[in-house]
Amino acid sequence: MDNRIGHVGLIKQVIFYIALLLLWQFIVALKIWPEYLLPAPISIGKTLLCGFSDHSFTIGIFTSLKRLCLGYGVSIIFGSILGVILFRYRTINDIMGRFILSLQTMPSICWFPLALLWFGLSELSIIFVVIAGSLFSITMTVNSSLRNMSPIILNVGRNFGAKKLNMLAWVMLPSVAPSLVMGFKQGWSFAWRSLMAGELIFNSLGLGFLLNMGRELNDMSRVIAVMFIIAAISILFDKLVFGRIEKFIQFRWGGIK
Amino acid sequence: MPILKVDIRAKEYLTSKGEGLLVMSDLNFEIKRGEFMCIVGPSGCGKTTLLNIMAGLDNHYYGSVLYTGERTRKVNSDRILIFQDLGLFPWLTVRQNVEFGLRVRGMSKSGRGKISRKYLEMVKLGKFSDYFIHELSGGMRQRVALARALAVESDILLMDEPFSFLDAQTRDTLYEELQRIWAITRKTIIFVSHNVREAVCLGDRVLVFSASPNSKIKAVFKIDLPRPRLIESEGLMSEVRPIMEALKPEIGRSHG
Repeated sequence: MDNRIGHVGLIKQVIFYIALLLLWQFIVALKIWPEYLLPAPISIGKTLLCGFSDHSFTIGIFTSLKRLCLGYGVSIIFGSILGVILFRYRTINDIMGRFILSLQTMPSICWFPLALLWFGLSELSIIFVVIAGSLFSITMTVNSSLRNMSPIILNVGRNFGAKKLNMLAWVMLPSVAPSLVMGFKQGWSFAWRSLMAGELIFNSLGLGFLLNMGRELNDMSRVIAVMFIIAAISILFDKLVFGRIEKFIQFRWGGIK
Repeated sequence: MPILKVDIRAKEYLTSKGEGLLVMSDLNFEIKRGEFMCIVGPSGCGKTTLLNIMAGLDNHYYGSVLYTGERTRKVNSDRILIFQDLGLFPWLTVRQNVEFGLRVRGMSKSGRGKISRKYLEMVKLGKFSDYFIHELSGGMRQRVALARALAVESDILLMDEPFSFLDAQTRDTLYEELQRIWAITRKTIIFVSHNVREAVCLGDRVLVFSASPNSKIKAVFKIDLPRPRLIESEGLMSEVRPIMEALKPEIGRSHG
């Protein structure tokens, strides 16, 4: 039953996208705007094919993903450590909590001038912006999830004799897993946005650079093609990576939480 | 020697204004091994606090709790507290929940499996061992919590109004089940309730608490009815009435 509803939903979606393409093609055929402002879907398809066959898109994707994974990875590791420290030591939390919150609310691209002066026009500058964009949000999430842990669950753990590592591995971490996943997902989207912003400014291979190059060449189909790729990567991670984790959590923890 | 000897001289609670509020004082009672003791009292009289103290989860009080003759202030799995909302682990299956205490002790998988099977059979959840908690009904969750507590072979079960959120039918079944399991396992059970009928149905003794602040033991009733007792049986009523009489003014006081 559920499956059938799923199929119907999929068919509806496919119809929607086909209709969108047809509408697009129709508007292009009306020739209200010149081709260089509104290219036909088919020419975007051609650009995509061309970009992948000369590897420029592939290289762009890999360059961006490499930076993203590096920056996001560092953010997860050090953001979590910092979050645990803030949770564990009340005084540090009292002193630094507000400071970290203000760092988190700052748009990450504002770090870019500073990064350029520190690291120059290098890979490091971009990764720095990605880290600055996502680390503090992960810190805040880890800290607040640990603070909101159910005291009853903790007491049950203590009552059954869980201590230190046992407590951490079997009680604390799993009990905050749902909110951690939400926080990591948010951190991911911050990292991804920071990367795109950084790459648009700093010309060096990645997807943001390809996008910018399209603009400089006045090649609208290239701009839109790269936007498609960026959207596809966003959806891929959202659905495949985090979607799966969320499904797993829903399967175990049940609907809410 | 009593398995538990409670002597709480004073227990204070810090209010949000920072003042100390005397929750209870001069609380003395003993529990024999294998006894089923029920505690009733108006809401807010410190019953839950008392359970936390007996479990060793709350150490901020004056007085002492002797477990098998020795002073104890530490939480330990020889006294398992079943919380009102159970505190089951949603990320574990029913079986894994039941095995939690054993896993923490580092018991082997096969050893754990044997014990969890035994107790899941006992609470009649054998077929549900691979379910997750959110897939179970309220009554089944109660059974999981009970099996988890039994699996660590604790001496004492402390139960905090465990059946209060259940529908009447499920509750009546669980009264019978709990008496049956108590008879098999010979655990010492301390059962906090706000329902006198329930307390009479289950307990060998019923302790009546007075209203807070400064609640004390107002009266103790010994229930000598034959077991298993049914909640709807006629005989229960004659025992319920005097307890109700003792409790009524306290409930009035706690609302005033």
